[in-house]
Formats: sequence, structure tokens, C-alpha cells
Amino acid sequence: MHSRDLKSGFIFLIFSLLVFYESLRVGIGTLSKPGSGFLSFCAGMVLFGLSLMFIYRGWNVREARTIHSRRVILALAVLIVYSLVLDVLGFIVATFLAVAALFGVQTSRPWWAVLAISAFVTLLAYLVFGVLLHVFFPPGFLGI
Amino acid sequence: METLQSLAYGFSICLQPMNLFYGFLGVLMGTAVGVLPGLGPAAAISLLLPTVFHVPGVSSLIMLAGITYGAQYGGSTTSILLNIPGEASSVVTCIDGYQMARQGRGGPALGIAAFGSFIAGTISLVGLILFAPALAAAALRFGPPEYFSLAFMALTLVAYLTKGSVARSVAIACVGIVISLVGLDPITSGSRFTFGFRPLIDGFDIVIVAMGLFGMSEVLENIGTSSRQVSVLSTGTRMKDIFPNRADWKNSVKPIARGTLIGFFLGMIPGTGNAIPTFISYAVERKFSKYPEKFGTGVIEGVAGPEATNNAACSGHFIPLLSLGIPANPSTAILLGALMILGFQPGPLLIESHPELFWGLVASMYTGNVMLLVLNLPLIGLWVRMIKIPYSILSVLIILFCEIGAYSLNTSMADVLLMNLFGLVGYMMKRYDFSAAPLILAFILGPMLERSLRQSLILSHGSPTIFFLRPISLVFICLAVALVGSTCLAGRRLGEKAIDMKEV
Repeated sequence: MHSRDLKSGFIFLIFSLLVFYESLRVGIGTLSKPGSGFLSFCAGMVLFGLSLMFIYRGWNVREARTIHSRRVILALAVLIVYSLVLDVLGFIVATFLAVAALFGVQTSRPWWAVLAISAFVTLLAYLVFGVLLHVFFPPGFLGI
Repeated sequence: METLQSLAYGFSICLQPMNLFYGFLGVLMGTAVGVLPGLGPAAAISLLLPTVFHVPGVSSLIMLAGITYGAQYGGSTTSILLNIPGEASSVVTCIDGYQMARQGRGGPALGIAAFGSFIAGTISLVGLILFAPALAAAALRFGPPEYFSLAFMALTLVAYLTKGSVARSVAIACVGIVISLVGLDPITSGSRFTFGFRPLIDGFDIVIVAMGLFGMSEVLENIGTSSRQVSVLSTGTRMKDIFPNRADWKNSVKPIARGTLIGFFLGMIPGTGNAIPTFISYAVERKFSKYPEKFGTGVIEGVAGPEATNNAACSGHFIPLLSLGIPANPSTAILLGALMILGFQPGPLLIESHPELFWGLVASMYTGNVMLLVLNLPLIGLWVRMIKIPYSILSVLIILFCEIGAYSLNTSMADVLLMNLFGLVGYMMKRYDFSAAPLILAFILGPMLERSLRQSLILSHGSPTIFFLRPISLVFICLAVALVGSTCLAGRRLGEKAIDMKEV
């Protein structure tokens, strides 16, 4: 597999090109009147140079394949979906489902234990943050 | 002598039962606020601002002030035990504090954080009492070139924040600078790097970035490791295992002393906040240490110095506030509002016209520090027990904690999504061997760097010599060059050593 230096070099290269594009779009101004994109352009230049260095360094290097745990991918998916449905489902429903899913990803406990712990954790979070600390939580379409 | 008499007068004010009660309430709320990510001291103070209408003036100010320095104590708890910084000023404590907790030394880390904060808070109060007016005048000499040079010097510290390649630290710091510029340009109000996404108009909040990069990424990494128990392996919960031992104290004395000085003097400068001094303190400790390569693996100096710094900086913030009416950060800005509501005019005449306010507030900061020590030390055993919870449950609790913290910032789903995305970024950074510390430092410094750079160049009509012609700015530039030079030299020496060893 390609080395981490090579991969990160290409990521930084793309990032720095994006930075150049946006900096020039908003305008870098002049030395006597620096524009919105002045500092980002400077940072982009440094990053561009370093990305080329990483690419050069990692070009002929081979490393073992980086394996990402299935559990991490599932947990991330749960979190992304949670943040997207939070307003729609409401805090209690969304949190209960997310917590249950996260427990399910990590443990091999029976389903009823997972649901019971999830319900307890959700209720506790609601009581502490929602009731005691008055954090506003979205009620969702069920109104709870 | 007159100062001692005034201080005695201040204690007679703050030791009144009502003021003691409100002081305790303030530090208690401050500690809770510091522990909870998402709710910073500025937000807590603003929520309690209406109390000034119902509670006697000095009492309400004592309470509000208690929140600011109480938050510094609380922020270290989650940083050390869970790698979740409760406040921006607790970010750097995560680096070594969390590693200490993983090695079964969470108790000593929490203990030295509490004691270090107390010592720094006490010493810096002496500085506040003795030097407030004179130091405030010096702080006012900071203009845009000085702020830029200070930020630039602080940025060169990225080389000292991680063990790995300096090039990787600089690269990730550049990313941090760019991320800090997302949103509205503070000078022209034009949007940049938003790409049409409305949630990005306000930019990224430091709490979102820090929770994602540190807390969430750590949890994700641990979830990916099979059957791993992150909690303390075999720590005792006996008193002697919970508190710092003699060796810990021996290693922490100088970092606490240095951290106090760094925090106090930098805290006086409006706009630096609490976070920048902590990064500088960490880098200084690494520079002075006999074993800098151990930083990042769980050394107590990496906790003692920054924790002393953030508390000393808190006291430093009160110097420009009380002497000149200039707030140093959002928390003191709201305190300034409280002072004005109550009819007090901050400035050189405040001490003479309202001695009960000035000296009562100063004395209450000392009693507040004592209360915080008494409050936090007994809780250490409880916190250490907490992290023995099975990680499959603890990780979910941590995630939930972060999600709620992110949502509570602006009651926005977008903040939650952004934090999760930063968690993904932080996880990938760990897998690609990039440290988050340089990114966070650059993120914090970015706005100050940009604003001061542009203002300086406008003032000088484009001439960069402005940074070299002003004495304070020149000092910072020279320090930055010296830091970069010493890093290169150390790198060359290590290289030569390697060549020598190979030849032998």
C-alpha cells in the first residue's frame, strides 16, 4: 500500500489548491491593504510546499495497509445519522436509538439488556441536562 | 503597609456570611461549567447577569468572578480522565493528563492540577494586588504589531507540541489557520470558505473543534481496538495513590512557578485569553525538561505547568478590567457589563472610590481558590472510580456528553454534525500519525494573527519593518527566531549524532 506520507501529501495538495482558489476568489489584496484571503493564501503556500515534500518523501515507500475497524465505521455512521435526525425525531427518540445502536456495535449483550440500558441512559441524560440544567432539546415530530 | 490594611479590609468584606455563600455558589457553578463542554464561563456569567438586580453589588460580582476561575478547575477533570477538554484552556492538559490517567495516575494528575491551580491563583493574586496599575499601563502598549509578533511566536511553538516530525506539525498548523478563518471576515464582513453553507457563516466554535478532535476521535479509536479497557488498569483508590507523591511534587514545583509567571503576565494582555498562555507554558516546560521526548506520554510537568498557567491568567485578566476598564476575554467583558450596571466605573479611580469592591473582590478570589481546593480534592477519588466503568458503557456516555455539549452551544443540529465530522477528522489524523495539538493552537491563534497582521500592514502602508521597529514586537520576533533556530540546531545535532554512531 502507498505510504501515509504519500496519501497525506495528496490530501494536503488538494486542500491547498482549494485554499488558493477561495483565497483568490475573496481577494488577497495588496501588502498595504491585505484582503480577506491574504493569510489563508500564505498558509496555503506553506501547505502546498509541504504537500510536495510529503509526496516526494512517500513516493517509493510502501507500508502495510491501514485497516479501519468495522465498529468504528458503524459508530461513525450512527453519529452522522443521529446529528441529521435529531431535529426530526426529537432528542429522546433519536438519543435512545443512537445509544442502543452504539451499545449494539460494541457489546454482545442480549437485545433486551441493550434496550434497557439505552432507555436508562437516555432518561438520565434528559433529566440531568434537560430538566436540571435547562438545556433546550428538540421535541421532534412526536412532541416529546 | 497600606496595602496590607486594604487587604485586611477586603477580607472583612469577603468573609461576611452572605459574600462567602455567593462566593461558594460561584466557584461551584464555575467548576460544573468547566466540566461540561459546551457551556463556557462566559455563557454561565451571562445567564446569571440578572442576579445583579436582586443581590447586593459586591456579592453578585464575587459570585460572577468565582465562575471564571472556578471553570479553570473544572475544565481539567474531563481533560485528564476522558481526553475531552471542558474549556479551550484545558486542551493542552489533555496531551499528558490523559496519558497519565491511562497509566493509572489520573488521581495524581487531578491532584497536581488542583494544587497547581491553587498555588498559581494565590501567587498571581499577590501580583494583582501589588502591581495592578503599573502592569495595566504596560499592557496597553500592545498594539497590532505586538499582537502579531506574540501570535507568531506562539505559533512557532508547534514544533514543541509533538514528538514527531516538525513538518507534519507545521502542515497541520496551516490547516488549523485556514479552518479558523472560515466564516465572516471580521474587517470586511464578507464570507469566505463557507461554500454556500449557512451553518459555516459563524465559523467553527473552539469547543466543537476541540471536542471532536480530542474527545470523539479518542473514543472512536478505542472503539476500534478490540476488548480494550481504557479505564485505569490497577490504580488504587487509597489516599496515597490518589494524590501526588513526593517525586510528583519535586517535578512540578518549577513548572508551577514558571506557569504562574507566564499565565499572569500574558493574561494581562487583552485578547490573549486563557488558551494561548497554556500552550506557551507546555512548550516552555518541554524546552526546559531534561527528558523532552517523554512529553506526550504522561509526564506530570505537562499538567502542572499549563494548569498553573490558566489559573494565573484568570487573575491576570482582572488587571486590565479593574484598572482600566478593558476586558481581556468574553468572561471579563460580561463582568464589565455587570460593573457598569451596578454603577461602578472601572479605571484608576476604582480603588479609591470603591475600595470595598476592589479589595473585596481580590480577597474573595483567594477564599474562592481555597474553596475550590477543598471542593475538588475530595472528588478526585470519585472521578477515578468513575473511569473504571466498562468502556463499552463509558464510551457511549462520553459520546452522549459530547453530543449534548455540542447541541447546547447554539441549539443547532449543525454543531452536532460538525463535531462528529471533526471527530472523523481527528480519528483519521491519529491513523495517519498527525497530532491535533498544533491544529488547535493554530486555530486559536488564527483570528488574532490575521487581524493583527492586516491592521499592522495597513498602519505601516505595507511595510513589514513595523514588526521590527517596535521594541516589544522585536523581542517576540527574536524569541520566535531563537525557538526555530534551537529546533533546527537540535535536529542537526541529533542527525550528527546518528551519523557519528553509524560511523563508530
